[in-house]
Amino acid sequence: MTDIVFPAMSQDKADAEGVVATWFVADGETVAEGQLVAEVAMDKVDMEVTAPVAGVITLAAAEGDAVRQGGVIASIT
Amino acid sequence: MTATMPQTGSRRLSTAKAMVEAISQEMERDESVFVLGEDVGAYGGIFSSTTGLLDRFGPTRVLDTPISETAFIGLAIGAAVEGMRPIVELMFVDFMGVCLDQIYNHMAKIHYESGGNVSVPLVLTTAVGGGYSDGAQHSQCLWGTFAHLPGMKVVAPSTPYDAKGLMTAAIRDPGPVIYMFHKGVMGLAWMAKNQRSIGAVPEESYEIEIGKANVVREGSDVTVVTVSLSVHHALDVAEQLAGEGISCEVIDLRSIVPLDRAAIRASVAKTGRLVVVDEDYASFGLSGEVIASVVEHDPTALKAAPVRVAVPDVPIPYARELEYAVLPTPARITEAIREVMHP
Repeated sequence: MTDIVFPAMSQDKADAEGVVATWFVADGETVAEGQLVAEVAMDKVDMEVTAPVAGVITLAAAEGDAVRQGGVIASIT
Repeated sequence: MTATMPQTGSRRLSTAKAMVEAISQEMERDESVFVLGEDVGAYGGIFSSTTGLLDRFGPTRVLDTPISETAFIGLAIGAAVEGMRPIVELMFVDFMGVCLDQIYNHMAKIHYESGGNVSVPLVLTTAVGGGYSDGAQHSQCLWGTFAHLPGMKVVAPSTPYDAKGLMTAAIRDPGPVIYMFHKGVMGLAWMAKNQRSIGAVPEESYEIEIGKANVVREGSDVTVVTVSLSVHHALDVAEQLAGEGISCEVIDLRSIVPLDRAAIRASVAKTGRLVVVDEDYASFGLSGEVIASVVEHDPTALKAAPVRVAVPDVPIPYARELEYAVLPTPARITEAIREVMHP
């Protein structure tokens, strides 16, 4: 199992919090390596999140949820 | 136009990303395509309409311009008549006032004035629409204004699939096309978004024919003709009213010019009732034109008086409560449909 974590978007605050803005995939969907799966946002900056490996994705956060950087937002098995 | 539309596949994109993908694929395919405008480079467009293009194609094909719309739109027109295919962004449609001479006296008329000898293959992209408290000078749609002035096509996608196909068609079109993207359909992280702003988009290139409306929901009681973000609202309302036994047919015009009058008439011939939902101003615009398309053709086509849900003829307010009082909200659309069902 490979976790997908909220990317490190703040260099000043290790525990900075952001929001999962958009899921481009549904829970339980099969994803390809490198596929765009989500967009996250912190302080009005947004960033794309891609699948690090291929597999079936399980979402661990809903759109609009606040997550600390480094926190798990999904996993791929 | 492609004979068969590609299957959507399972890959989903936001409308903004679908737009960028179309531009990117056309830039790959055709060296004469280039992008210019305010903040289209490093910033990637303030509504993400050009994100990543500078990194991919470099500063000779993605040009950040000074804040001088007359100059850079004029530049694009000049490039187009010399055989380039510029995509020029007017950051907000509300700013058209400072560059309208270039648009409607030059871009739109050169083809006619030259007896058809000179073409202007240009796409003018521009952000439209309100709903996020940006005030009277940053919230208008104004497609009716461009549509009123002859010589340009005017398109306004509502979904990622249509955004890509219409952009590809607009770039390949031999004449000027105004491509109006509502900020509320772009699927931006920082703006309230409807789930319909994220959708399946084929990876390959394809065109959606400009001038063809899309029946996005079939129904038998009432025809709802609309475009852009209001399509999302109309579909939400249609789903709601289906539970009460009201069957709504929703038509996404996709193009304002050419207007698919045949599709409107065909639907109204079936339902006999018409609601037009338009985020532009009510008077002298698209909503009246849609109704005229029906009644000029067949004065007996309607069982009830048509109803328009549009912005009353006032500037868009800044205050959220007042802004939502003038926008074509789902509540207003619902009320209009009930009105035509029970006049």
